[in-house]
Amino acid sequence: MSIQVENIRKSFGAFTALHDISLDVPTNQLVGLLGPSGSGKTTLLRIIAGLERADGGRVLFNNEDVTHLDARRRRVGFVFQQYALFRHLTVADNIAFGLRLLPRAERPSRRDIRDRVRELLSLVQLDNLAGRYPAQLSGGQKQRVALARALALKPEVLLLDEPFGALDAKVRKDLRRWLRRLHEQISVTSIFVTHDQEEAMEVSDKVVVMSQGRVEQMGSPLQVYEQPASRFVFDFLGHINSLEGLYDGHNWRSGDAFLRLDTQGACPDGALTLYLRPHEAELAAAPTEAAHLPVRVAGRSVFGGTVTVELEPQGWGAEVLEVELDRVRWDALQPDRQPALYLLPRRLQTVTCDGDLGPQVAPA
Amino acid sequence: MPRYAHQWLLIAAAFATVILMLVLPLLLILHQAFAHGLAPVMEALTSNDMGHAIRLTVVVALITVPVNLVFGILLAWCVTRFEFRGRKLLTTLIDIPFAMSPVVAGLCYLVVYGSQGLLGGWLADIDVQLMFALPGMVMVTIFVSCPYVARVLIPLMQSQGPEEEEAAVLMGASGWQVFWYVTLPKIRWALLYGVILTNARAVGEFGAVSVVSGLIRGETLTLPLLIQMLHEDYNTVGAFTAAGLLAAMALVTLLLKTVLEWRQRV
Repeated sequence: MSIQVENIRKSFGAFTALHDISLDVPTNQLVGLLGPSGSGKTTLLRIIAGLERADGGRVLFNNEDVTHLDARRRRVGFVFQQYALFRHLTVADNIAFGLRLLPRAERPSRRDIRDRVRELLSLVQLDNLAGRYPAQLSGGQKQRVALARALALKPEVLLLDEPFGALDAKVRKDLRRWLRRLHEQISVTSIFVTHDQEEAMEVSDKVVVMSQGRVEQMGSPLQVYEQPASRFVFDFLGHINSLEGLYDGHNWRSGDAFLRLDTQGACPDGALTLYLRPHEAELAAAPTEAAHLPVRVAGRSVFGGTVTVELEPQGWGAEVLEVELDRVRWDALQPDRQPALYLLPRRLQTVTCDGDLGPQVAPA
Repeated sequence: MPRYAHQWLLIAAAFATVILMLVLPLLLILHQAFAHGLAPVMEALTSNDMGHAIRLTVVVALITVPVNLVFGILLAWCVTRFEFRGRKLLTTLIDIPFAMSPVVAGLCYLVVYGSQGLLGGWLADIDVQLMFALPGMVMVTIFVSCPYVARVLIPLMQSQGPEEEEAAVLMGASGWQVFWYVTLPKIRWALLYGVILTNARAVGEFGAVSVVSGLIRGETLTLPLLIQMLHEDYNTVGAFTAAGLLAAMALVTLLLKTVLEWRQRV
């Protein structure tokens, strides 16, 4: 079932939570709503579910207007951030809840309900916990029960509000891979809300980046990362280093440092900020003709195959820079024996003085 | 464990106060009632006035408790599940019966519904008598005991949040089903606690009821009013028997409340 959101607006008193949001989610896609807290993503999800009424705009399921349809008739599966399991019911009864409420004509027999519960429990890999109460489950188990419960009525739309928000890092990672696989098994159109960019990137077919009640960009995870539409998107997706300096049409300078950049006239002379992603740079013992950025190593942390290095600019800039380097190359460089080190950016994002994103450039 | 003498002293003082101010008077009631043996007590208990007072007290409680049960649930639901203008004001208004002296409440009802009152003339015209009769006594008892259920439920429902109810709605539950299958099981112990408190207040109410009852012997005397009346008549055994009965009711209530508090924690 496809989901369309058209020009949705919502305010709470004087605070505008959503400004004119439009979205298009094709059938069976898994879309991540990504944004910092307060960006309106949960409000949007609740409006799609029917738990919140929009001030204007429409919500359509399969091109059918459901804006004024009651939440109980929308037939969406919803997973709450804090699970919202019925604390007085067992796991099995939680999952069977929706099935037992069906009108008599549609309600499966007792045995069918039992079979369906068992099937769902095995889908979420909790076969032997049917008789437990929510208070006796771990966070990850609760989350999977909540998901099984949301899927019990075979919804064609599944909405998840920060589904892994309250779990620890390891469980999060397992669960989100599992969600991805599950989504491939069953045919359901899903939207999930998250503030974790890694999660959104890994799980979604499409990412919708939101900020202050507006959609900043919508696209595949790769697209959003490689071609950010705004400074906010670039900023929000991963750590960035900001290099400030002056540009004269050929060279960018800051103190002792310079970069030869050909922006093909896209950047005017004057102040020019460059954004550098931590993994888009190398470290070398000597500068090149196009890049002269002397640095000193201020700290390092090794994790797996990557070394995260903190660099202090020498004679330019002020802020400590963070770059991620391949560990083999880092070791080969023997940084402790080098009298001086130079940062060699592979790709830089230009930001013009009015704050817009310019072209992405490489020193040459 | 306390380690110093002054800590023990403080605890001893607390116990002494409780015994002197609470337990001793209670024991004295029983002692006074049984001062002349069992026979006068039985006689007092089986007297017509006493029987009527017990029945009336129970009837008032039986009407008051369900009314306030429903009222309390509706109010708590309303205040915790919806955002609306005046919500804060409403939660403050709930406390009026707590803050106001019951006698004042009784007088207020008299001013509105009494024969000289605001609606009194009109009520007399259609031949309805509220004051100095059962309806008026029930009305003031409902008034003075109405905050208990809501006051117990509001903080609980606030802390539980609306998510479980929302989850039920999204699974197709109607408003009534949500209440019956989700909300009620979540609040049942607190609700029972609220009912016990309401009942205790309804049974024991004196001030407000005294104003609107007119104190008609054999007609509008509840147990607390009867005690006062018997005491004024120097019928010591009767007064203390009735008082003992009321105190026993209170103790049973207290016991129930303790059991419930223990259940809630488990």
